[in-house]
Amino acid sequence: MDKDYSKELSVIEGKPSLATITHDISVPMETMPNKAFYIALSVTLTFLGIGAFCLILTFIYGIGLWGNNNPVGWAFDIVNFVFWIGIGHAGTLISAILFLFRQKWRTGIARFAEAMTIFAVMTAGLFPLIHVGRPWLDGYLLPHPNQHGLWVNFTSPLLWDVFAVSTYATVSLIFWYVGLIPDFATLRDRTTNNIKKLIYSVLSFGWRHSNRHWQHYEMVYLILAGFATPLVLSVHTIVSFDFAVSILPGWHTTIFPPYFVAGAVFSGFAMVQNALIFIRKVFKLEYIITLDTLEKMNKIMLLTGTIVGYAYGMEFFIAWYSGNPLELFTFVNRAFGDYAWAYWIMMTCNVFSPQLFWFKKLRRSIPFMFVVAIFVNVGMWFERFVIIVTSLSRDFLPSSWAYYKPTLIDGGILLGSFGLFFTLVLLFTKAMPVISIAEVKAVVDGSQPTHHGGHE
Amino acid sequence: MSKNLFAVAGLFNTPDEIIKASKAVNKQYKKFDVNTPYPVHGMDSAMGLKSSKLGYFALAFGLTGMLIALSLMTWVTTKEYPLVIGGKPFFSLPAFIPITFELTVLLASIGTVLSMIFIFFKLPNNSHPIHDTNYMKSVSNDKYGIYVLAEDDNFDAEKVKALFASLGAADISEILYNEDDLEEDVQVYQHFKIFDKKFVVGLLSIVVVVSGLAYYMLNKLFYMAPYNWMMTQSKVIPQAPVSDNFADGFPMRNPVEGTVAKGFMPYEYKGKPEEAEKNLINPSEVTPENLALGKIKFDIYCSPCHGYFGKGDSRLNGQFPNPPSLHSEKARNFKDGRIFHIITDGQNNVMPGYYKQLSRDDRWAVVNYVRVLQRSLNAKEEDLK
Amino acid sequence: MSSKIEYTKQPIPANWTKIGMILTVLGLALVGASFAMDSTRATFNSILGMMFIISIGLGALFTIGIEYLAGAVWSTPYRRVAEILASVVLIVPIFAIPGLIKMHDVFHWSHAEALQDAILKNKSAYLNTTFFIVRMVAVFIIWIVFYFIFTKNSEKQDITKDQKLTKRNIKFSALFMPLFAISLTIMAVDWMMSLEPHWFSTIYGVYYFAGTFLTGLSFITIIAISLNERGLLVKGLGEDHYYSLGAMMFAFVNFWAYIAFSQYLLIWYANLPEETYWFINRYEGSWAYVSYGLVFVHFVIPYIILLPQPAKKDPKRLKLAAFILIFAHIYDLYWLIMPTYTKQHGIEGMVFSFYEIAFPVLIIGVVMVWFGIMSKNKNLVPIGDPKLQQAIDFHL
Repeated sequence: MDKDYSKELSVIEGKPSLATITHDISVPMETMPNKAFYIALSVTLTFLGIGAFCLILTFIYGIGLWGNNNPVGWAFDIVNFVFWIGIGHAGTLISAILFLFRQKWRTGIARFAEAMTIFAVMTAGLFPLIHVGRPWLDGYLLPHPNQHGLWVNFTSPLLWDVFAVSTYATVSLIFWYVGLIPDFATLRDRTTNNIKKLIYSVLSFGWRHSNRHWQHYEMVYLILAGFATPLVLSVHTIVSFDFAVSILPGWHTTIFPPYFVAGAVFSGFAMVQNALIFIRKVFKLEYIITLDTLEKMNKIMLLTGTIVGYAYGMEFFIAWYSGNPLELFTFVNRAFGDYAWAYWIMMTCNVFSPQLFWFKKLRRSIPFMFVVAIFVNVGMWFERFVIIVTSLSRDFLPSSWAYYKPTLIDGGILLGSFGLFFTLVLLFTKAMPVISIAEVKAVVDGSQPTHHGGHE
Repeated sequence: MSKNLFAVAGLFNTPDEIIKASKAVNKQYKKFDVNTPYPVHGMDSAMGLKSSKLGYFALAFGLTGMLIALSLMTWVTTKEYPLVIGGKPFFSLPAFIPITFELTVLLASIGTVLSMIFIFFKLPNNSHPIHDTNYMKSVSNDKYGIYVLAEDDNFDAEKVKALFASLGAADISEILYNEDDLEEDVQVYQHFKIFDKKFVVGLLSIVVVVSGLAYYMLNKLFYMAPYNWMMTQSKVIPQAPVSDNFADGFPMRNPVEGTVAKGFMPYEYKGKPEEAEKNLINPSEVTPENLALGKIKFDIYCSPCHGYFGKGDSRLNGQFPNPPSLHSEKARNFKDGRIFHIITDGQNNVMPGYYKQLSRDDRWAVVNYVRVLQRSLNAKEEDLK
Repeated sequence: MSSKIEYTKQPIPANWTKIGMILTVLGLALVGASFAMDSTRATFNSILGMMFIISIGLGALFTIGIEYLAGAVWSTPYRRVAEILASVVLIVPIFAIPGLIKMHDVFHWSHAEALQDAILKNKSAYLNTTFFIVRMVAVFIIWIVFYFIFTKNSEKQDITKDQKLTKRNIKFSALFMPLFAISLTIMAVDWMMSLEPHWFSTIYGVYYFAGTFLTGLSFITIIAISLNERGLLVKGLGEDHYYSLGAMMFAFVNFWAYIAFSQYLLIWYANLPEETYWFINRYEGSWAYVSYGLVFVHFVIPYIILLPQPAKKDPKRLKLAAFILIFAHIYDLYWLIMPTYTKQHGIEGMVFSFYEIAFPVLIIGVVMVWFGIMSKNKNLVPIGDPKLQQAIDFHL
């Protein structure tokens, strides 16, 4: 069956009525969770508990419980930080960049992806805070006049991170909340429960769906999207600066900023796609989060995966082209040294596995795309591991070379981060509309005036 | 309770109808509003709205953030807390750009959204007359509504109703408000009063209970002693008998008899000024550098009592006995070795030895400089040439 | 939909070709004079010229590919303009000739004695004359082949209105994208980065791509808006259709700044002598002003022009921004290439005279003439494209 290019396909299948959309999206918040939800929640809470236990041990006995040791001073903690920050990027890309590109298919997935952004940034933000070893002193990361007369180092990329991540978290939260206001108003007008009504009234600020408001609202949404787009680029760019401004071979390379951003979007899309496959099934929202949408996400994964592949290639080429023996050694060591296993996991998962998305059949097969997306997440986690650990374990002084091995506590904290993230996601699905009600209504067939009204 | 007419509202089923309706209403009335479950394209021009000015707010807030970031960083790194980092200048603009950018975006986003909600929309407002009407419930779900306010100059309820009917409205209703509530200036909410006393008391008691519990848990139940593990950890202290390395418990041994520390030369003429004068020979070479060194050291260590020129005019204002002049016959006739001895060992009177503060080379340099001072007041014939 | 596509085939304004001819003749005279007076400097400028014309052609070719791949609708009415503009890839090889003939004057690594340099010896497997030419030829072939594929399918569609042609082009553009990335990187590394063979930067290809796309987009903007103002494009195109051009330009102005800043910051911060000397060369003497100027010409000025929302719809401001961006790209190439020349010849500070004007003038002239030649007997709008109606009906 050939596609008809002359018509714009609706991103929502089957022309549902507006009332159906309101109903279907609101139902999860009006019904009690079922058994599957509790099972899932108990699993994620168990993970979270394991992570919390390991963290408490870390606080009591110190970070000597981790595998970090000279010369590998950054390991799981920073790997996890970069990984989770990267996961967050998909949300902003979907909600801001695709909005600017007027991609209508984003409407079905934007809300959920934004929520994942916020949860991922929360999870990520934990790691630098515990990595400093004395988390009770973290307040000094923010510049403020204090009795010691100390100021932060404004020229340090680690401090840029503090600003970038906190700005990113704040702006994502605002963006997400602005999107939620009309939906809260809709829920307020639906509910019959007085307490719920009170909560929704407060949360919606008394929104009235007025067109005098919609006009400014759309403007602000555009402005926020315009801000969020460079912001999301800046966040992972600054994360990449943490490495790239140093002079360590394997870290200091100029392509890091765009390459990190592409990698972040890559893994973020994989995570969002994984979660959406469950959401659309469980909440019966297949007509909003359509197979076409998933296919488009897979295409973006193919694109960003290929960009990441280009960056790997470019790094290798320049390592050789530079004629710098240190650079060359680092890259040969990555591929054939002690950590070759991690390198080849990364290459297989990140560069080769998404290439299967060239085939339309595979791109539209849900079990297949699910597996590939998991591969991508594994691969992207290992990418950060390869970058950080292999470069550090072979630094300038051969006498201090060492092989880094994580401890059980490291693993427990990693598990705990997944627990935290998915616990928040699960709670979110039952507490707030997982799909933007107002935005989806605006892209249903027949929801816009036939001649776009005013343009006559 | 008397109810007043707030507005007349009409509900429509399709977006095309509402566009048509708002165009028609816009021709006759000024005070009206359209409510739709989502933004309908082309509605702004149908309602005759001017384009939003929020962009300027964003720009202004953004520039403010930029200015704050740049001036804070400049002040901290160049004035308040200047540190050389990575060999870069104090004011390193490229390194300021990331934070400047972040603060620009942060302030612009927060500022724009807050001004939209609080200034442009005048929200939160949960007491608008259309809240909790059937009209509101319809437009927040699947209908398109329009209402004309009673306060409009041309308002006539029957005419408006007729207009809506002629436009094909599915439902026409009157929206009333309660005048008593407005007079009392109370936020109206038909089912639930937000500023109801019970609610406020409930909220306050929650606050008190939560903060009390948090205080109790953090400060009493889970109290953790301040971090002092470096004090208490097991470790070796060189001067204390705390280890089992040796029988006496001290972790270190005394050096072997006669050990000389690096850079330390024992002084063999302690208490023997005559012998020192006889045997010590000035090993230093009189060069401008040597004399400069001598001057620096003299000015630091000797001049407080002896005066800058060795005249014995102490700057200590009598808190200390003034030393004799270095220009006396006696002092001029001292050999270098004697002066060196005095600096090293001190005098029997109040002058202490300066061997701890001045190295051997320093002391000889001071001797040379003292010689220069003496010579300056008692120049010989040949110096005048 | 209601309206039908109203398009009548008309030739492009005749005075474009005339102005193009004048510029070409003027450019040829200047180029001739510069080769006669200082052939080395002229060769450096010929590389500048070649990279500039590549930017025009490849920027246009990339626009075509990305439109198919992303399924973009807004750019469909302008696609034929991009296709005609992309035809300059056919004349790109001509501009490589001076660089190849006078290779030893500009490429230090091509000297036999360069092999005594340990670093260059390591690189000789890549940087040698034979492989250099092989790469160049391969890259030109790729570009020309894809140019023909895209345009032949698109022009056939004018008559047959066959949707399968769109599908075929989508498949080819998916294939084209990775090849485009690799080929453009190769050209940037070979012809510009290797001018200073010891220097290296992994982001260099991306940096050149940012300028390339901006240049292609700027040319398309100027030509499309000018044609539309004269009513030579399809009826119904207006401000709403310009908006995306402006938004794209604005986005890529930012993208260029982002890439340029990333490259600068990382090298400045790490302060490794083998990398920083490249920036120091561009910071010594009067070159410093050129470097500062680049920030303004390529980022600050176009950013301020394009920032307001109405500017993205206003044809006048759009054209102004596009002209500035084309100038900025030439300026950028000058900044990338010419410091090597002054350094090699021991000249203090920057150089600027008719040598540097010759090639840009010639190329703009040639492109105008070539556009006239290639647009003959062609519709200026892809009237058979299934997405065209949708594009015309588009409103913001």
